[in-house]
Amino acid sequence: MSTQLYLLHQSLDVSAAKFPDKLAFKSGKHAVSYSEMHKKSGQLARLLIELGVKKGDRVGIYTNRSLESVIGVYGILRAGAIFVPLDPTAPDKRTLFLIQDCGIQYLISQSAQRKKLARLLQHTPPLRYILGLMADWEVPCIDWQDIWAMPELSHPIRMVEKDLAYIMYTSGSTGQPKGIMHSHFSGLRYARMSADLYEVHEEDLIGTHAPLHFDISTFGYFTAPLVGATSVIIPDAYIILPASLSQLIEKEALSIWYSVPLALIRLLTRGVLDQRDLSSLRWVLFGGEPFPVKHLKALMELWPHARFSNVYGPAEINQCTYYHLPAPPSEEESIPLGTLCANTEMRILDEHDQPVRPDETGELLVRTSTMMTAYWNQPHLTQQGFYIEEPHPGYQETFYRTGDLVRINEKGDLMFLGRKDRQVKLKSYRVELDEIEAVLVAHEAVEEAAIVAIRKEDSLHIEGAVIMKVGDKVNEASLLNHMSQYVPSYAVPEQIHILQTLPYTTSGKINYPVLAEQVSMTQEST
Amino acid sequence: MEEALRNYVQENLLNTPAGTQLELDDDLLGGGMIDSLGMMNLIAHIEEVYALTVPPEDMTIEHFQSIEVICTYIQERKVAS
Repeated sequence: MSTQLYLLHQSLDVSAAKFPDKLAFKSGKHAVSYSEMHKKSGQLARLLIELGVKKGDRVGIYTNRSLESVIGVYGILRAGAIFVPLDPTAPDKRTLFLIQDCGIQYLISQSAQRKKLARLLQHTPPLRYILGLMADWEVPCIDWQDIWAMPELSHPIRMVEKDLAYIMYTSGSTGQPKGIMHSHFSGLRYARMSADLYEVHEEDLIGTHAPLHFDISTFGYFTAPLVGATSVIIPDAYIILPASLSQLIEKEALSIWYSVPLALIRLLTRGVLDQRDLSSLRWVLFGGEPFPVKHLKALMELWPHARFSNVYGPAEINQCTYYHLPAPPSEEESIPLGTLCANTEMRILDEHDQPVRPDETGELLVRTSTMMTAYWNQPHLTQQGFYIEEPHPGYQETFYRTGDLVRINEKGDLMFLGRKDRQVKLKSYRVELDEIEAVLVAHEAVEEAAIVAIRKEDSLHIEGAVIMKVGDKVNEASLLNHMSQYVPSYAVPEQIHILQTLPYTTSGKINYPVLAEQVSMTQEST
Repeated sequence: MEEALRNYVQENLLNTPAGTQLELDDDLLGGGMIDSLGMMNLIAHIEEVYALTVPPEDMTIEHFQSIEVICTYIQERKVAS
C-alpha cells in the first residue's frame, strides 16, 4: 500500500508489515506484537460488522487501562465505526448519559468491569451487545476467547480522512459533558506532528499514563504505532502506588513519559526515586494543567538526562504549542506554553474579538489541522466554540476559542495567565485565580493548592485549599501571611483550608466546582 | 485481623456503591475499587491501628493488592519491628 496514510488504523497495517514481531502494546503481564495487534483488531472488526455495526456507528469502550482498550480502539476503527471512551470509574449517571447522548449500542469491555456493568444494566441502557466478557444478562455478551476464534476482516472498509474516528467527552465538572468529535484526519495529523516534534522512533518505549477517556492518551494510542514504537499502558494499580510506578519505569526502561503533572508530583514525593535508576528516560512530557515550578525544578534536577517539555492544547485541538525547558526553572518564573506547533496559527483577542497589542493579555484562538470537527449533537456550542474569519467573500477560516488567557513575553514565548472563566473581579480589581494559586503552591510546606471563588449572596470572595507536605505543621495564619507578602490585599484569600486531599476530575485535574462547594459547606457548618 | 480490615475498607474506602461484597482476595487496585486517596487513608489507618510505620518503599502493589496480602504484610512488619 501507499505510505501516504490517511486513516488512523493504517499505522497498524504499516507497522505490522514492517515490524511484525515487535511489541506494539504492553500492559502489566500482557503484551501484543504488531502482527498480533493487527490480527486481533481485525477479528474484533469482523465480529462488530457481523453483529450489525455500520460505518459511522458509535461503539463504547468501557475498560480500565489495559490491552483490551487498545484492541477495542483499533477494532472499532477498522470496522469503520467511531470509538467512544467511557470511564469505568465515572458515576453511572454520566455513563448512561453518554450512552444515550451518542447512541451507543455496542460496548467493548472486560471481566474486570463485571460488577459495574451489572449495576449499569439495572438502568436498562439500550445496548445490543457487550463484548469482552461472559455473562448471563439480558443483553447478549461475547467473551474475548470467542472473538479470538473469529476470522479476520477480509477487506478494509472504504473511508475518507474526514470521517469521524472518535468522540471524547469533556470531564464535564460543570453542566453537560460535551462530546468532542475528532476525525481520522485530525487524529492522524496530531500523531504525525507529535512524532516529529519529539523525534519518536521505533526503539522508543512510551509510558502511557492517561486513561483512554483523557485526550492526552492519544500520544500512546496513536503516535506510538505510527512509528512502530512500543506503548506501555500503565495499569491502574501502578497509578495508585507511585513506588511501584517508579519500579515499572525502571524495569521497562521507558524512554518517553507523558502524563499530567500530578502523576509526576506523586512520583517525586512518594516514588522513592533515590532508589531507582530511571536513566532510560529521554523525554518527560507533561500537560493538562500547569506544573508547579518548584516540583518541576526538583524533578529536572533529579533527572538531568531527560528533556522536559510542556505540552499544551485543549482536547478540542489536541496539541497546539510546546515548550522544551532549556534548564531547571527558577522558582520565580512560570513555565511558558512556548511556541506554536507546525501547521498552526493563532489569534490573541480581547473580549470584543479585537486583536490585542503585542504585550497585552487576551484569549488564545487557534487554527490547526489537529482541530476537532465539532461537538457531538451541539450545533450551538460548536458555533460558540469557533471563531470564523472571512478573508475573501465566501471563503472562511475557522479558529477554536481556547478560553485560555495568554500573553507573549519578551522572548516571544506564549505565557499562560489563566482560564478565562478563572478570571474574577474582586472589589473591582481583575484577579486571575490561577496566579493566586501559583503563589500559594510556592509556599515551602505546601504540596498541592487550589484557589476558588465563592459567591455568597451578592458578593464574591476567594478561598484557598492546600494539602501540606508530610510532616509539615504550618497553620492557616502563616499561609495567609505568606499570601499577603506576595499578592495585593484584595486578592488574599479570606480563608485557607488545610485538607487531606483535593477533589480531582478523573483525568487528574483539580475539580474546582466541587471544591468550591465543599469549601462553602464547611463554612455553613461552622 | 482480616475481618476487621475488610470491614474498614468496605465501609470507608470503596468506590463502589453500598452493598458490594468485598472478598479477601479481590483486587483492590485493578478493578477501580480504591483510588489514590483511598490508598493513602488505608495506609494511615494501618499505621494507626497496628502501631507500625509503612515506609514509602513498601507502598507497592505486592503489599497492597488485596486484603489478604495487606494482612500478610502487616504481620511481617510487626515481626520485624
